[in-house]
Amino acid sequence: MFVQQLINGLTVGGVYALIALGYTMVYGILELINFAHGEIYMLGAYLGIIFLGFFTAIGLTSYSLPLALILTFVLSIIFCSSYGFTIEKIAYKPLRNAPRLSPLISAIGVSIFLQNYVMLTQGATDKVFPHLFEEAGFEASSIRVTYIQLFIIAISAFLMLFLHLFITKTRMGKAMRAVAQDKVMASLVGINIDTVISVTFAIGSGLAAVAGLMVAIYYGLVNYSIGYIAGIKAFTAAVLGGIGSIPGAMFGGIFLGLVESLSAAYISSEYKDAYAFIILIIILLIKPSGLFGKSHDEKV
Amino acid sequence: MVMKRPVALLLIFLFSALIFSGCQKKEDVIKIGVAGPMTGDQAKMGTDFKNGVALAVEEWNAKGGVLGKKIVILIEDDQHDPKQAVSIANKIVNSGAAGVIGHFNSSCSIPASDVYNRGGIPMITPASTNPQLTEKGHKGVFRVCGRDDQQGKVGAEFVINKVKLKKIAVIHDKTTYGQGLADEFKKFVEKDVDVVYYGGIIQGDKDFKTVLTSIKQKKPELIYFGGIYPEAGLLVRQAKELGINAPFMSGDGTIDPKFIEIAGPKAAEGTYLTFSPDAKKIPTAKKFVEDYEKKFGELGPYSIYAYDAANIMFTALKESEKDLDTKLSERYNEYAKKNNRPVEKLTKDEKDNIYKILLHEITIEKLHSMEFDGALGKIKFDEKGDVTTAPYVVWITKNGKFEEFWKP
Repeated sequence: MFVQQLINGLTVGGVYALIALGYTMVYGILELINFAHGEIYMLGAYLGIIFLGFFTAIGLTSYSLPLALILTFVLSIIFCSSYGFTIEKIAYKPLRNAPRLSPLISAIGVSIFLQNYVMLTQGATDKVFPHLFEEAGFEASSIRVTYIQLFIIAISAFLMLFLHLFITKTRMGKAMRAVAQDKVMASLVGINIDTVISVTFAIGSGLAAVAGLMVAIYYGLVNYSIGYIAGIKAFTAAVLGGIGSIPGAMFGGIFLGLVESLSAAYISSEYKDAYAFIILIIILLIKPSGLFGKSHDEKV
Repeated sequence: MVMKRPVALLLIFLFSALIFSGCQKKEDVIKIGVAGPMTGDQAKMGTDFKNGVALAVEEWNAKGGVLGKKIVILIEDDQHDPKQAVSIANKIVNSGAAGVIGHFNSSCSIPASDVYNRGGIPMITPASTNPQLTEKGHKGVFRVCGRDDQQGKVGAEFVINKVKLKKIAVIHDKTTYGQGLADEFKKFVEKDVDVVYYGGIIQGDKDFKTVLTSIKQKKPELIYFGGIYPEAGLLVRQAKELGINAPFMSGDGTIDPKFIEIAGPKAAEGTYLTFSPDAKKIPTAKKFVEDYEKKFGELGPYSIYAYDAANIMFTALKESEKDLDTKLSERYNEYAKKNNRPVEKLTKDEKDNIYKILLHEITIEKLHSMEFDGALGKIKFDEKGDVTTAPYVVWITKNGKFEEFWKP
């Protein structure tokens, strides 16, 4: 039972971590909490349904399911990254030198807009994601793991590793770290800040798209409001790990998933949503900068 | 003080606008409120309500309406949110509606019924099954569906007498309806069956694997769920994914094709639920089913209830006419006496108000005393406003469709 709950928690935690990364990367660079990020995750799930429906209609799914799935993932990532890129250009860039509250309010506006946009175009009712691998999995000493769960855990781990290597090993990653440390200095040594910010938004949105699509496959049910609660949870995860810190977001997400799963199993399932926030309050009281965050002097 | 002319003109303009808006024209129609979840994940139920009532209204208007007036419906959306339900209930009362058909969720019907009661207008719900609704003692609250204590009892009898199980798990979604139903079921089943797990989940959540893992540990032979179809579908699906093979049972909140779609046809196969008998098999409902399907397509589970609720309301209104005529002048006199004015001096607004209150009173009286011929058969309300006969049966999911399965 404990191992089973651990696997349940890891699956959800992996998804939280992927979304949390988007929050933390944007915060690290712009010190902006991108409240529209949860909606990108929701868009990823919807785009997945649309693209997969299209591939099924043209017969690609029955020809080769893996190929159809890979294409669905790639297209969702491209679309969501473009959404992220565009949102930054429209809603945040013009406010870059405005007081810090303005882009925050702009972010909430984008979030409301996207929710309603999806509700109006796709309808307010639940959308069902096609059942692809029904009940497929394996069982060992009464622990049952479905392939989708394994898939989610593996993809999350792979993407986190990929992101880590990208940030630490590539030129772009170095530029991102430089911009996060000091924007003015970074621009003085020849880093194009606009490009770095755009890339950050695109990567964060791409990760959210993967998270959304995986959740759609896992639960099989999507509606226009799923981004809100997922966004809040992922934001909690990012704050838990120390907002701005990439390993912090990864740890925070997985930790949150495990806490939810284990406390729901051993304390009470009725208050599952509350545990995450109780942990958040405790962490903020003890270590306000988060588990992995560095406390620094307030810039403003 | 001398005001500058433009300012003075502006003030006159602004105030006159308010005066004009205060005396808008009163239309001579009978308004009926239809309240339910018109948007959101339960929008389908709201649409079924709307269609059922619309069909009844069309038939009545073709015959000339009631009380010499045409009937119009006032569709309001409660978004299955109790707060929203109260706000639209106020809106319906203030609009001067003659009655309300609604709401869907018990958690909405119960707080809204307080508002309708205060406004004195009759309310008939086609679907809210929580006992509390009619136990509050509101005189004008009725329902054409059954009650959860009746429903829970039939579910319990099925488990004890038909499938003969000994160990079951009970979950609910913490809503008034879900928990109410689960509690009633548990109460009846507990005498003969071991309830090995009892707990709640969160409505709107998508991940129930933790609860189901805990349940799997207890090895129940059946899982009973009190709640609505999105969560029920996910529960069935995730239970199968965890390798739980115990059958699943729920109440009338699950009877929706979306349930099978969400759970997946394979996982949904063989799930039980309690609901009233199949409308398509009721002889009196034949004409309704034909007309409805011609107009709106597939019959929803609550369409027939909404249709009957509307018909009952209109019949009661129609029957009120005679009493209304005899009592109206009496009421005018009473009112005039109380205010020390002759009857001729009463304003039109005062008269309208007296008429409205009297109409509500008589309608409620008629609803209590009459017996109605509905598509569902004969319907009579008891003194609480519940139907005197509420047959529940057990349905099963077979080949991706709901089917009547067992009668107690």
